[in-house]
Amino acid sequence: MTLGSLIFFVAPENLTGNLQLLFAHILRWPLKMGRNASLSARIQQPLNDVVSRREYDKVQNHLVNLAEQLYQEHRRVEKLSGLRNRFALEGAKLVPAEVVTAAVDASQGQLIINRGVDDGLAAGQFVLSDNSIVGIISEVSARTSQVKLFTDPTSKIAVSVAGLDIARVMEGAGSNKAAIHMIDIKQPIRPGDNINARAKPGFLDAPVIIGRVQQCRRNDQNPSVWDITVAPVCDLRNLTSVAVIIMNPQP
Amino acid sequence: MRWLRFAALILLLTVLQAGFLEIAAVTSLNIRPDLLLIALVFFATYFNTFDAIIASFAVGFAADLVGPVMGPGMLGFGLCGTLLAHLHNIIAIRKMPYQALVIFVAGFLVGLLMHLLSLFKGQYAPASTYTVIFGTAVYSAVLGPFLFLPLAWCMRIKTRRFGGR
Repeated sequence: MTLGSLIFFVAPENLTGNLQLLFAHILRWPLKMGRNASLSARIQQPLNDVVSRREYDKVQNHLVNLAEQLYQEHRRVEKLSGLRNRFALEGAKLVPAEVVTAAVDASQGQLIINRGVDDGLAAGQFVLSDNSIVGIISEVSARTSQVKLFTDPTSKIAVSVAGLDIARVMEGAGSNKAAIHMIDIKQPIRPGDNINARAKPGFLDAPVIIGRVQQCRRNDQNPSVWDITVAPVCDLRNLTSVAVIIMNPQP
Repeated sequence: MRWLRFAALILLLTVLQAGFLEIAAVTSLNIRPDLLLIALVFFATYFNTFDAIIASFAVGFAADLVGPVMGPGMLGFGLCGTLLAHLHNIIAIRKMPYQALVIFVAGFLVGLLMHLLSLFKGQYAPASTYTVIFGTAVYSAVLGPFLFLPLAWCMRIKTRRFGGR
């Protein structure tokens, strides 16, 4: 038995990870039912004539995305005056997926969704919820996939600060947060500024909002740079459905 | 040991652990009771050494299926279950307070082992790891002895506490 355990322990993660995906796929109905039951237990009674926080965030994120796309388009127009370009995400296909299980805590941020290779998914594709990027597909099997949320401590995503030409890599920090390091303190970044996932050829053709600056703190070792804490713009703990962005889908 | 019943029970507990226990989570650290840990102590307490050891590795495998990586759970639960099974040959763990104490100690040991083994696999360890391990052990210890009755019923065994054996 101990030997068997050791084999599992040293086996490559992409092999053993398939076992977890298989388990989630076979038991997706009870797992999803449990998740829905847990989420409905958390949801409070909505007030009359008030838009829910989720709906508000969704529209707000859409507005931010449009504003950023407009900004990018303006820049393009300035550079390429007269040349036409297609709209952002125009050729993309959004594959809706339901969350089977979610592990969102201090040490991890991962979802298992009920779409896989059979639905056109591949590792590296961006995952969207409430008009904001929530993570990237990290592992795929035939009918299920694992999404690494951008708050997962092993996540790294290229981002930029909206309205500023600052490109950095954002690292997950666990506990529903991410961090951007080494930004010059002269940069006018403030809490509340939007952070966008940067366009990535073949995966994302326009910047899309991913989070919002929650805190700017001077680096302990180097006080001339900011350490920035980024919070998600949608409720990652209560995700029930997401959409996977497939750029240039096969007909 | 009725192995078919055992497999069905572990499957049920694994699904409950992965899908339903969010309801019972407390504090911002999302601390939940560990049903598989409670099952581990139950099997070590009420079954013979050989069965208990096999059961503890199987429970560890189930814990790995719903954990971040495969391996640490099977080793952690397996080693701790083996220890408990041998300990049970020396000390009878029948009263509820003792069961709670054993669940707490086992929870802490399993948590620590899994944490250390996860570090070997390159997993990230947040600063709150030890608080979560402690909280999970306490929560499971409080809840565990009360779950022994339904577990015993599922496995069709009679515990001494509930009417002799």
